[in-house]
Amino acid sequence: MTAMLKLFFFFAAFFAVGIALQAQQEVAPTTEPVGPPRGETMDGYNITQSFELGYRFKAVGGDEGMYRSVDDIGNGIRLLGSSLSVNSKDGHGHLFDEIVLNTIGLGNDNYQSAVLRIQKNGLYRYDMTWRLNAYYNPGLDVAGGLHLEDTIRRLQDHDLTLLPQSKIRFRLGYSRSSEDGPALSTAQEFDLNGAGLPVFTNVRRQWNEYRLGTDLDLAGFKLTLTRRWDFFKDDTPATSAGVIPAVSITGNAADQTVLQQFQRSQPIHGSNPGWLGNLFTRRKLWGVNARMTYVSGHRDFALDELASGIGQFGTPASRQIVVGGDANRPELAGDFSVSLFPTERLTVVNNTSITSNRIDGNSSYSEFVTGLNLGTTLYFRYMGVRTVSNSTDLNYRVKKWIGFYAGYHYSDRLIRTIEGLDIPAFANASENDVYQVSNHLNSATVGIRIRPWKPLTFNLDGEAGRANFPLTPVSDRRYHSINGRADYRVKRFQFSTAYREVYNLNAPFFFSTYISHSRRYSANASWVPNNWFSLDASYAKIHLDTRAGIAFFVNLGNGPRGMALPSYYISNIHAANLAAHFAIRKRADLLVGYTITKDTGDGRSSPVAAADVNNPVQSLLDSVQTFPLTYQAPMARLSIRITPKVRWNAGWQFYNYGEEFHILGYDQNYHAHTGYTSVLWSF
Amino acid sequence: MARAGSAAAILLRNPRKTAAARSVPVPLWYRAAAFALLLRNPRKTAAARSVPVPLWYRAAAFALLILSTTVTMAQTQNLAATASAPSSAGFVGGDACKTCHADIWSNFYKNPHYKSIASGKETPERTGCEGCHGPAKQHLEARGGKATIPHAFSLMEPKQVLEDCLGCHARDFARANIRRSEHTLNDVACTSCHSIHHSPTPKYLLAKTQKDLCYSCHATIRAQFDMPSKHRVNEGFMQCTDCHNPHGGFADTWGMAQRPRMMEQAVTNEEPCLKCHVDKRGPFVYEHPSVHVEGCEICHNPHGSMNSKLLKRPVVFTVCLECHNGVGIGISGTRNAGVDVQSTRHNMLDPKFQKCTTCHVRIHGSDADQYFLR
Repeated sequence: MTAMLKLFFFFAAFFAVGIALQAQQEVAPTTEPVGPPRGETMDGYNITQSFELGYRFKAVGGDEGMYRSVDDIGNGIRLLGSSLSVNSKDGHGHLFDEIVLNTIGLGNDNYQSAVLRIQKNGLYRYDMTWRLNAYYNPGLDVAGGLHLEDTIRRLQDHDLTLLPQSKIRFRLGYSRSSEDGPALSTAQEFDLNGAGLPVFTNVRRQWNEYRLGTDLDLAGFKLTLTRRWDFFKDDTPATSAGVIPAVSITGNAADQTVLQQFQRSQPIHGSNPGWLGNLFTRRKLWGVNARMTYVSGHRDFALDELASGIGQFGTPASRQIVVGGDANRPELAGDFSVSLFPTERLTVVNNTSITSNRIDGNSSYSEFVTGLNLGTTLYFRYMGVRTVSNSTDLNYRVKKWIGFYAGYHYSDRLIRTIEGLDIPAFANASENDVYQVSNHLNSATVGIRIRPWKPLTFNLDGEAGRANFPLTPVSDRRYHSINGRADYRVKRFQFSTAYREVYNLNAPFFFSTYISHSRRYSANASWVPNNWFSLDASYAKIHLDTRAGIAFFVNLGNGPRGMALPSYYISNIHAANLAAHFAIRKRADLLVGYTITKDTGDGRSSPVAAADVNNPVQSLLDSVQTFPLTYQAPMARLSIRITPKVRWNAGWQFYNYGEEFHILGYDQNYHAHTGYTSVLWSF
Repeated sequence: MARAGSAAAILLRNPRKTAAARSVPVPLWYRAAAFALLLRNPRKTAAARSVPVPLWYRAAAFALLILSTTVTMAQTQNLAATASAPSSAGFVGGDACKTCHADIWSNFYKNPHYKSIASGKETPERTGCEGCHGPAKQHLEARGGKATIPHAFSLMEPKQVLEDCLGCHARDFARANIRRSEHTLNDVACTSCHSIHHSPTPKYLLAKTQKDLCYSCHATIRAQFDMPSKHRVNEGFMQCTDCHNPHGGFADTWGMAQRPRMMEQAVTNEEPCLKCHVDKRGPFVYEHPSVHVEGCEICHNPHGSMNSKLLKRPVVFTVCLECHNGVGIGISGTRNAGVDVQSTRHNMLDPKFQKCTTCHVRIHGSDADQYFLR
């Protein structure tokens, strides 16, 4: 073997080790290479491929529902990963010049994907992505488990480009998303004083999008046009849990916590056809980009719901609701951007954007309560939002080692709403509430970049913004942010550290002032001293404290009483990652890693302050001010090269999740040992 | 006056003797020295010099300095432009490169840039190695060395790298906003993320796998994805580019259209969340205005959260009540009454009222009920 080839294999191995090292959070699939580094050659094509077939196992203690929601690794055989690449050696293959296929988790994993590319130079390029997510979420902290979901979500995207390297290109695309599976939900019955009672749903949602487009290069201008059609439907029915009418599932005929009978049919069908156009040109001293999109959304719906059970006074109750209607949402967005390059060191970009969208819908609502016809109400709603924004960014490099940038942004938003109703059974029983508000935002940014030495870079920038009439009490109103970063990069060592703070003060009026302080610190390093050892480490701290004024009602036994109190939230997340990779005599690779995420909250030892224990209202607010938790995952993986085409792998990852205070009374802590063994092979 | 005239001449002319030497611009210090000379009181005797130099004289000198500085800058840029402009005579073809760079050349057929060679129709300045690195003649004659490569990416400034790559890749719609992207403003150029010759990824020539690449600078984002509830980026089900465009994005069509500008809009002009969470898009008869107008992040932390539905707070009612506190008649909200406060029928000490979405199930928008109950 020539010295040059030996050098090539050395560098290939070096980069393979360095690349495999980088902070892998999941122990599988195995990233070590297998097979000849340069693949096999056949009929003018070069082929490299690998398959990893393995078995995963788990042993869980504690809340298995929370484990399934967070980690969700199950037992069984699966194709942990595979890769295939076929490349023509001269770029003039017969039907194709390249096939690239990569998969993860096929067969049994709860997260599966396949990515495919097939192309022939100058003729076509086809890209496909397919993904599957087995989604399980008990949602204890949201609805106490009453909104548990156990569904399968499938996503796929297909894109075909014809004549990809020519001045005229044609694009065809198709995307699909579906969500199916059982889920729990709730129905609020039998009047506005009622509770949300459990129902069973069979989720059936589907979305399809078709795209047709063309790109044209002409006289220095580039034009992109896309026409799209999309169709959405949701035919999720809801029922009670198979209860025989008039008999409660608990055997208690007066049970008010369940519905004796429930059926809801609520089909929703919608479409969102649209256009996109983009015109772009770039010259030596200037460039222009203009984009326009228009989407006209439409949606038809109907609802037929029948519920029976025990009402709030302990007597049988029933309710039937029938609703029908439609809604429309035309949306228009336009952007116009001018870039100027008066000198080699200076770039100025000005961008103007306009968006306008309107939603209007009407519905006919009819209700029957325990045989009493409450009549029909017609509702009309309109909301229009128009936003005009303009930003100017300036980027100036004074010298090779120092540069400045600055920007100014202004946006103007107009919101108009109309809320109307009419009760046909009664003359003059109609209402119309019209409202309009205009918001403005001014913000400015300045920044500096310094590179005193080639491997060392410093960045610092700040932004301040002022808005009037923010839409919500928690929206940005008076905010500033400061970002700083230091980066050191040489061939074998990288170190970077960053800081970012965002402070927002909203609505400085009476009790409802909202204040938010966010500060983030991070440092990470990567060291590859030689071809058999590498180390990757990072630490981040995310601090957040907020104060908001909230208003609510409580009943302490003497009727509803209004309360207006400050609500605080404090979070201090510390996250650390460490991973080390060892290559042992070119026969084995050992990866060990550790990840820990810990929210220390505000350091308190109990959820409720001692002074507030006897105050039920303050106790409630104390208990939700902070959420200390620890989530850690050590892992190790050993990969042994049996032959140049076969590797045996084994890995272990431990998950430990613990909440310090069991908020709302739920204990979701768990620990789980997971592992896998696999064979990684190439043929 | 004669001395002033000579100082002005010095300020403007290039003192070098030969035409070849004069192609190098006069340094700024030279012109500054001439300016200082011009500012001296030119009068010959001490008595005459007691009379100050007139203002018109100093103004003229200043104008000459500005003019000469501009001339120096323009000459410098022209020189750089001349040096970087490819000369067709300097292109030798990619075959010459493989003699020394066999390790690169042997696998180059797998590289997407090989298309320019396979095509056979591209001009020399857009073909193969010289399409990116510039004409190789000088590099060959010097028998190597980075300094002899017109476009040696490891030596180039970020803006130069960007210009080089955009020479071919500017036409891609995904890069329409690259000039004003946060990455470009912070000197994160193409080669910060892409490794043209040593990429381990099957597509896009990334320097590392996508999440590891992004995490290497955005460590706090990695910390968010290490939270118990998160989008499945670490598991490989999703990627950063499902929601973000690292080359810069159009102005947001939600919120006040302000920074950051790195979101990849779905359905051509909506939040990327709606590409997968289509059931939340609507249009609904009863919109939840904060959702549609301000965007999903008004309630959610899309990267990761302690809450199972990626809410910003561990408990639902704190999210809701931070807005629904009755504030803002004419200050916040989308109706004359401001933002609704909760009903008097709600008793927050009763656990069933602490989980708002148990009843208000269609919280993202409803077709049937103005309180989002169904």
